[in-house]
Amino acid sequence: MLRKSLDRKISRRKFLGTTAASGTALAAMGSGLSRVAYADSDTIKIGFLAPLTGPVAAWGKPGLDGCLIWADWVNAKGGVNVGGKSYNIEFVSYDNEYDAAKAKTGATKLIKEDGVKFIMMLGGDTWPGVEKIAEREGMLFSTLLPSDLSPDSTTLLAPCEVHPIYNVTGVEWLAENKPDLKTAVMCAQDDSLGKPSVATYLAAFEAAGIEMIDEPLFFDPTTTDFAPVMTKLMAGNPDILCLDTCYADYVHPLCEQAFQQGYKGQIISCTADFYQKIIEKTSAEFMEGFIFQFPDFDDPALNSEGVNFVNPNEFYAEYAKRYGASQWGAVSWEYASIMDLWADAASQAGSAEPAAVLEAMKAGGTGKHAFGTADWWGTELFGIDNALVGDWPVVVIEGGKATIKDFRSIPAWWDKHKDLMIKHMTALGQMWNQRS
Amino acid sequence: MSTAGPAGSIRRAVWRLRWVFLFAILAALPYMLSYSQQEIAVLLVINVLLVCSYRLLTLTGEWSLGHVVIMGVGAYASALLAKQFGIPVPLSMLLGGCMAAAIAALLSFPLFRMKGFYFLIGSFAAGEIIRLIWKRFTDPFGGPKGLKRIDPFPDIETGFLSIDFYEPVNYYFLSLVVVSVSLFILYRIERSRIGLTFHAIHWQDRLAESVGVDTFRYRTLAFVIASFFAGIAGGLYAHYVGAVNPTRFSVDQMVYVLVWAVVGGTTTFHGPILGVVVLTVINEIVLRALGLDTARPLIYGAILILSVLYLPHGLESLGPRLRTRWQLWRSGSAAGGRELA
Repeated sequence: MLRKSLDRKISRRKFLGTTAASGTALAAMGSGLSRVAYADSDTIKIGFLAPLTGPVAAWGKPGLDGCLIWADWVNAKGGVNVGGKSYNIEFVSYDNEYDAAKAKTGATKLIKEDGVKFIMMLGGDTWPGVEKIAEREGMLFSTLLPSDLSPDSTTLLAPCEVHPIYNVTGVEWLAENKPDLKTAVMCAQDDSLGKPSVATYLAAFEAAGIEMIDEPLFFDPTTTDFAPVMTKLMAGNPDILCLDTCYADYVHPLCEQAFQQGYKGQIISCTADFYQKIIEKTSAEFMEGFIFQFPDFDDPALNSEGVNFVNPNEFYAEYAKRYGASQWGAVSWEYASIMDLWADAASQAGSAEPAAVLEAMKAGGTGKHAFGTADWWGTELFGIDNALVGDWPVVVIEGGKATIKDFRSIPAWWDKHKDLMIKHMTALGQMWNQRS
Repeated sequence: MSTAGPAGSIRRAVWRLRWVFLFAILAALPYMLSYSQQEIAVLLVINVLLVCSYRLLTLTGEWSLGHVVIMGVGAYASALLAKQFGIPVPLSMLLGGCMAAAIAALLSFPLFRMKGFYFLIGSFAAGEIIRLIWKRFTDPFGGPKGLKRIDPFPDIETGFLSIDFYEPVNYYFLSLVVVSVSLFILYRIERSRIGLTFHAIHWQDRLAESVGVDTFRYRTLAFVIASFFAGIAGGLYAHYVGAVNPTRFSVDQMVYVLVWAVVGGTTTFHGPILGVVVLTVINEIVLRALGLDTARPLIYGAILILSVLYLPHGLESLGPRLRTRWQLWRSGSAAGGRELA
């Protein structure tokens, strides 16, 4: 009986259960301890507040992966020199799941508990949840979506990607190089990312003399069946199929549908994340000539003198080695390039404090953008000059590989066609002063 | 439960002590949490109201896929009333709840012509229509970007007292009061004759009709009451986060409410509360603390599958099961003791 009682006390299930519980508790403690151990005075923490899971993760997770490479390289060289002392950089990430409330929680955690000096975000739907904290705490934030910019948010910068304005460069290049293509159709998800991009493409097509056959087709972000969307788009037999700024989860099935429904014309899109997988699902012939805006960083064109991104080819090679070339996406390099800008500014300011870095970053009205020296710009479109705008590459898929065809100036296009852009942005309610 | 005699008095005292203990824990809780965990606690309290209001609707046997959109109606209405008409936030929250209830009353006419699976799909379609309206009409709903810079709950400033509701600990207590009162009302409704009628409609709607119960009206009543409280939860959310957009109230979010209800169980009043508390703590605190940010959907899914496999009646069934095992173990030990002796 005693034996039976002992068996009951230490049964296999109980042993496994208690071991698992203890393991979990120890892991939690360990996690806490590792954070404390990292928090020494020679480390500057940078917040990474972006979607790492969910449908928008493709614009968060690859960026964090890129930042980890950036940090490893910078730390291996002794860190960032701030005020005569070298500091290692540590990234602290928080998955906001592209939700404003979770972004709010994440921002408070990063600022108040992790003590970060700068926070990088994707922006979009998540920024309004963070806006007030940024204002109260005076924290420096960056966004990839300058439609978040407004005069109310002075500590928010768009120092890398000026989405969606750079899309004009792709259309301009297309019109110059394929002047026989005269008609277009467009689709986009009906959200805060899709709409301003639609306005941009409409302005760019109008400036290039390309006629829209039909009104832009907005589909709901919960759409999973893209066959009817593509059927409707192809009904007018367009020369150009524009996929706007669709998420990777939409670009892939849209291309598949276009392929399956026998589309033979030109495709232009803001992004073509993980395009190798699209080629696998369609064919290299089908994707030949696909125009988008985000290069692979093994492109030799990025070694030209004006490009400020440090060692782009080596960065791409390291990224491919760690995560696989097929995981390279639009944002893989962007957050890292923002860090180049931040590190320069912190060194110049002699301080990592947000206000000092912001001042140093904007000093002289110009900055070292990844693709060349650019201007702090945006009053007419965003109500504040907090977007760093200069040249942007036009990328074309050739022989199954993304290839930079040209670097085009966004300000030059703006100077010629800004009225068109403002007209279409206003029509879709996307000007900064139209936001609710 | 017998209420007569000294045994009854003791039971009542124990019952009251339990409540005192619970409120003491809830009062002390934010001071044991970090700042960001206090933020999570605020959202958790709001979600408790959301899922409990959802349970009231399920009492009549109908499961909706539009409850989160109804919460959104309350959030949008409260935000717009405060932002565009300058209505004080506490009043706008209440009116937001009323607006959600009014929309539910309107929707009940087409929706309660359906039952079961058809009601589920119908409620989803109705919710999508509302979401599309928010997206389509930039004025006043802000389109896909939604509304931002929504007025916060006003700070309380008197000579000796200053409460800033930007601070999560203060908003936690505000939410706790609102949600406690709401839960008390929901509990009383369930225990009333109306609540019993909801149960009757769930289990024997034809029989209920045969004794003169107007099932349409009672279903509508459950839907309207549940929507009112979901609207209040929406108001609490909107004025805390400061922003709402149509994506926040999509069917993806509704799936979470269903999961909380299913994992917690809907037989008892506390079942869904257990579901939302346990799953939120695991997802937002434990897994994040373990540095498993990107693995959370995988682990969350595994927990779901395991809970459905091993706790088909929800977490609410865990207590009674453990109690039964404990009693069996005790009786076994006693028998063993006697045997040894």
